[in-house]
Amino acid sequence: MSGQGGQDAKFFTRGKIQEFRAELEAAESKDKKFTKRKTVLKKIVANITMGNDMSPLFTDVVQSLGAPLLEIKKMVYLFLVCYGRQKADQLHLVIPSFLQDCNDRNPLVRALAIRTMSYIPTPVVIENLTDQLRHCLKDRDPYVRKTAAICVAKLYTADPRKAEKGGFVEMLRDLLLDSNATVVANAVAALSEIGDRQDGVIFKLNLTVANKLLTALGESSEWGTIYILDSLLRFVPERHVDAEMMAERVIVQLNHANSAVVLTAIKVLLYLMNYMENRKLMEYICKKMGPPLVTLLSSGPEVQYVALRNILLIIQRRPSVLKNDVKVFFCKYNDPIYVKLAKLEIMYRLAREENAKEVLAELQEYASEVDVDFVRKAVRSIGRLAIKVQPAADSCIQALLDLIETKVSYVVQEAVIVIKDVFRRYPGKYEGIIPKLCEHLDLLDEPESKAAVIWIIGQFANRIDNADELMDDLTYTFLEEPTEVQLALLTAAVKLFIYKAHSDTTKALVHKVLKWATEEVDNPDLRDRGFMYWRMLAINPAVAGEIVLAEKPAITTDADRMDRGALDQLLLHTGTLGSIYHKNPETFIRNATGKALADSPALNPLSRQVLVPISRPNLPPAAVVVPGPGPAEPALTGAVTGNLVETDGEPAQNGNGTNGASAHLMDTSASQETPSNEGDDDESVVSPPASSDPYAALDSAFGGYMADEPRPQNKDLLDMI
Amino acid sequence: MAIDGLIILDNTGRAIAQSGFHSFPPAYPLLHIDALNSALASSPRQIDVDPVIYVQGLKLDSPSACCHVRRGELRYLCPVSGDVDPLYAFAFLQTFVDILHEYFGHLSAETLKDNFDIVYQLLEETLDSGGHPLTTSPNALRDIVLPPTLLHKVLSVAGVSGLASTSANSHPFASPIPWRKVGVRYNNNEIFFDVVETLEAIVNKNGQPAVSTVWGRVDSNCKLSGTPDLLLTFSNAQSLVDCSLHPCVRLQRWARDKVLSFVPPDGKFKLMDYRFAPATASAISQTSVPFTLRTGITVDERGGSIDLTLSSRLTTRTMENVYVELYLGEGATGANCLASHNASWTFNPRTQTLVWELKAVVPSANYTFRGSFTSTAENPRPSRAFRIRFEIPQHNFSAMRIEQLKLTGEVYKPYKGMRGTSFGNVEWRW
Repeated sequence: MSGQGGQDAKFFTRGKIQEFRAELEAAESKDKKFTKRKTVLKKIVANITMGNDMSPLFTDVVQSLGAPLLEIKKMVYLFLVCYGRQKADQLHLVIPSFLQDCNDRNPLVRALAIRTMSYIPTPVVIENLTDQLRHCLKDRDPYVRKTAAICVAKLYTADPRKAEKGGFVEMLRDLLLDSNATVVANAVAALSEIGDRQDGVIFKLNLTVANKLLTALGESSEWGTIYILDSLLRFVPERHVDAEMMAERVIVQLNHANSAVVLTAIKVLLYLMNYMENRKLMEYICKKMGPPLVTLLSSGPEVQYVALRNILLIIQRRPSVLKNDVKVFFCKYNDPIYVKLAKLEIMYRLAREENAKEVLAELQEYASEVDVDFVRKAVRSIGRLAIKVQPAADSCIQALLDLIETKVSYVVQEAVIVIKDVFRRYPGKYEGIIPKLCEHLDLLDEPESKAAVIWIIGQFANRIDNADELMDDLTYTFLEEPTEVQLALLTAAVKLFIYKAHSDTTKALVHKVLKWATEEVDNPDLRDRGFMYWRMLAINPAVAGEIVLAEKPAITTDADRMDRGALDQLLLHTGTLGSIYHKNPETFIRNATGKALADSPALNPLSRQVLVPISRPNLPPAAVVVPGPGPAEPALTGAVTGNLVETDGEPAQNGNGTNGASAHLMDTSASQETPSNEGDDDESVVSPPASSDPYAALDSAFGGYMADEPRPQNKDLLDMI
Repeated sequence: MAIDGLIILDNTGRAIAQSGFHSFPPAYPLLHIDALNSALASSPRQIDVDPVIYVQGLKLDSPSACCHVRRGELRYLCPVSGDVDPLYAFAFLQTFVDILHEYFGHLSAETLKDNFDIVYQLLEETLDSGGHPLTTSPNALRDIVLPPTLLHKVLSVAGVSGLASTSANSHPFASPIPWRKVGVRYNNNEIFFDVVETLEAIVNKNGQPAVSTVWGRVDSNCKLSGTPDLLLTFSNAQSLVDCSLHPCVRLQRWARDKVLSFVPPDGKFKLMDYRFAPATASAISQTSVPFTLRTGITVDERGGSIDLTLSSRLTTRTMENVYVELYLGEGATGANCLASHNASWTFNPRTQTLVWELKAVVPSANYTFRGSFTSTAENPRPSRAFRIRFEIPQHNFSAMRIEQLKLTGEVYKPYKGMRGTSFGNVEWRW
């Protein structure tokens, strides 16, 4: 016993089954204070944790269950949890001890017993657990009740139908009104876990219960607070005022010390805002949400990462959050790269005319750092800034030109790529810088940058004096180039010919390239395009010129906004894995149920217009309908919305959506400030979701951090010209 | 909303302790450990590994995520397979690390192995097998899991026979307040507040701060008997913004009156975090950086020279333990420098970082640092910014004071103590 607490490392020696068995037997006698037994059990537990199989000792170890010492009980229980399922045939031996412990005087022992039983979901244990659990849910000690609440979720996992028939779901619901906040929180946790199962009963809250849960917030632990806040998403406000009052009570949680509580509170607020009408209050909430998000950024890099990914989503839906806080996202050079990249993306999102100068100065700073990935992204952001904020375009272009002067290869390449897009955004404004670009052709060795500069040369061949010489040099390695560059060369050669049809060199050049493309290259795309150009030029060069050099639609940054319906749905997952990967959890998590905004008379009509319905595929055949406590809500839609636990699996119908929406468009437009990209949440729907899965197109939109590259509005046409 | 479990790794990436993972295949935790170790191995800088790693399942249809943090020499992993808030995982990991600190002080692989039974008891009590956090308040935990030091004491004083009664308080959670245990008694009733403020700033080439923020925290050590209900008023509460408060603080009251009303936990706890926003007329209210650094750096082929002058802007206080760091870029091999006032400097060839260390920087003195460095790179690219860390004892950027501490619910008059320290973490671009 002398080695207790401090030198237990010696137990981590590989022991033999027989030795332990002998030692356990020896401990049967002359062991008044159970010291010997405790030492042996410790060795056994140490061996379990090292991964050694101790299951042959089952019958020997369970003998110690009778010892009236909590420490020994805990170790035996740990052993049972590890090997119980393997030794299911012998479990009946321990049932009497379990039953005895479930009725022990010490609440710790009672709780420990049901907890352990719920960890061993074999039929014989479950059979005996149900009765005990029923008592424990009504135990006078809150510690036992809160443990029992969680055990119900385990029982449900083991045998859903048995748990339903046994009335456990109803008993959990009763615990929601318990006087102890921790018990309430655990009941909520258990009900949520059951409700999140695809085959579970649906867990919904009515106004009375939701309000009751809110009062428990003040006294519960941080984890309880998270469970309760999260469960509020299961409350569908029927009236604007309900959502507004609830939000006012949730706001104070934004000051909580636990970052998970803060983010969950933000999720609830974002959700409730969909059901609000009072614009002033919504603006107030948006203002309140900013500071706690900023506070998260003073935490460790892990928390920062999660926060930044979420901020990226939130500011797309509610741009007024953090709109004056771009400085917070300035990068320190020793930030981890994932933090830097996320910050950079947010800086770009928050950039407006008012702060463009500051942002540009920062981006220039980053462009001179050493980390290649980060520098590239910074250079690209400068170009994107030029495209997004027109008044800043001049200084952005100057910055890019300065960067090209550094002659650092990857900097120049990024700059060229993005300048191509700038030309497209502001036609006829910056072509004067083309000669500068052409000075550094030799630095370009990556396909994307090469293709970009070739596009520029082809498009503006009439303004570049030595375009034919440049093209001649570039086509020198035509056959070795990657397809992307070959395609660009082909098109550029045709454009050059159209501009300078009378020059012999261009004639020879286009002939050479067309011949290569159609005869020497295996790639069908290239060959087809070569044939097509050839024929066009042969039939009518003038018309060919009109087609190839047709006016291009200007690019905008609109395409980088996420679809509103998808955004609404993703924000229900604020803070969860879905918001980190920017993907809907059903698509990557097994057994996850989808979440969607539920329709109600209070739902913001624009949100309704883009509502994404979900379906629960595997509904239980036997449904349990349980009316909730408290008065039933006025059922405005005629559905059974007053029920706490209801199994009506039909997703809410999004009826009268369209006509409501058009009306709403008009009243909100009165309160908008700026109808631009910057503008607010509820003003414009980019496009109604085409398919039922709004995330189908998200991969490309949000893969990596390249979400906002300017994209042509009409892609297929443009590849050719 | 539940995590899958918790794994603790030593610095070689081997598991020291882990929770049950009973509802998962046995390979599940190993899968996560492997995923993390290989991510760490394939990344040039360990801190650049994403804190949430995507883990492909054994069967292709069951992917999961691995949230991980490093604290000291140990790594803590939290596998997550449901759609769970990763912050929830990180918050739990941090809470668990704090609990381990409470119990064992300095944490190392050895301490955890020496006390593995307590570690396992803590795992059992803080996290149930479904991944729901159970009891995490240190005050309540101490009732059900005895800390090692106390265990020793009990054993030596009362002999082993006393163990059965002490190890299990027969009325755990008897307290109606989850964070405070009942029946606390002290001879001297005292409470201490430790205000720690950190200036985080980025200074531009022209010496103007681009960003400058002061983050503060109030740590408290409470030794008060009974169930005291405290009302704490600060002299400048209006300039403390973005507060996050310990769960014991009544949030409504703070939102309304900017006073802290709370029943404190027993012992040490963090009362609040805040940001200091000086109430000035101008919209941009920034705290100024308390020093200036004049930099002259020239970079040549295979080397360069550095010439720095640092002077304090403070009028009375002394800045202590000032570290000025510069990363000299890939390939830097050595440096030869001279620092005034007997300040020391070092060059670490492994991290290629040059550090100038000043024990004390007194007001109105100029400290200079001159030298040159060599590099194998043809065009050395030192980082574009210096990192400067410093501390100012007995000082707060916010000049925060306790105006009043009222106690109700008990009859004694408590002694209150307050101490302030300021730290700085500045990035100075050149």
